[in-house]
Amino acid sequence: MVAIAPWGDELAAKLGQRVDSMQLLPGGASKEAWAVEADGERLLIRRALAGVIHEGTLSLENEFQVLEAAIEAGVKVPRPVAYLGELDGREAFAMELVEGETIGRRIVRDPPAGFEDELDSVGDPRPAIEYGLWWLREHRPEPIADVVSHGDFRIGNVVVSKRGLEYILDWEFAHLSDPREDVAWPLVRAWRFGADDRRLGGVGDVGPYLERYEELSGRAVSERDLEWWEVLGNVKWAIGCLTQCRRHLTGLDRSIEYAVLGRIAAEMEYELLDLIEHA
Amino acid sequence: MPDRPNALELIEAVTEFLSSEVLPAAADHRLKFRTLVALNALGIAYRELESSDDLVIGQEELGELARRIRAGDVDEDLHARLKEHVAAKLRISNPAYLERHD
Repeated sequence: MVAIAPWGDELAAKLGQRVDSMQLLPGGASKEAWAVEADGERLLIRRALAGVIHEGTLSLENEFQVLEAAIEAGVKVPRPVAYLGELDGREAFAMELVEGETIGRRIVRDPPAGFEDELDSVGDPRPAIEYGLWWLREHRPEPIADVVSHGDFRIGNVVVSKRGLEYILDWEFAHLSDPREDVAWPLVRAWRFGADDRRLGGVGDVGPYLERYEELSGRAVSERDLEWWEVLGNVKWAIGCLTQCRRHLTGLDRSIEYAVLGRIAAEMEYELLDLIEHA
Repeated sequence: MPDRPNALELIEAVTEFLSSEVLPAAADHRLKFRTLVALNALGIAYRELESSDDLVIGQEELGELARRIRAGDVDEDLHARLKEHVAAKLRISNPAYLERHD
């Protein structure tokens, strides 16, 4: 428990509330999260860290606006409270502090753009990932109209309780894209956390998920439609792992977690080759 | 020959220290998690040092192969060869993943 951060007074002034307590929460590679009690209200302050901002990552101001738009549209998100501008030189916003479990672990990843450039920037040649990129180019599906996508919709970024899904968190990768990108992302094996036989995030089957998706969105998506997107998801996360590992290897951000991701990338290579074999 | 304990034995000693002393004493969730990640890293290093298997595709060929695939030069045998290569890497980095997958 940290009594009050150095920017606690600044926060109190911007909220117009008395700050009674602050606690830094664990996790978060590019943002820090503080549980704050202000005049009896429980808030979460999301504040930028000095680390690398990935290409295409939303600013906290934009992320706050996405939350406002999402809650307006009836999406289950924590209530955005106030955009705070800078607190001691780093951007921040306040939202409702929610209760529940986030299974899995939160990993920052890059948005789907410029895969080849990103792979080149990693430095080491990866023929299996190149093969995935080649297959994706050869089998590109007919596009459907873009929608607002969350960009990291998977186990680890949803809050669940006994009642079921309560909130969807971490909107920093929100962007416009083919809706199937978000629909396929939680199927990627890396997000099954070991329960590999349940294809949907290690928690369920794909059939009922797609039926419910169609009920709610009016869009019919088949498992077969998702094959290409699942390969894409594995390519994306393989490259994401290598990029994160690079932060460690170059000394930019030394961390045992980033280091090990460099060796985890092979799991996505195997999975994408297997998916392509059975496609 | 280096003095004993050799590299593998040192990795084993650190592994035992982390799992029997650090892990049980790790109070917060994040430290516990990072200790598990560190143990995983040591496991990879141990298997890599212990293994005498060659990877299917040598270091010098990887770059050439990557360039060819990028240029669209893909032949029939490539997929099987790549899968074998990646499986060999996984036998070092995560043998349990490979067993679960198949």
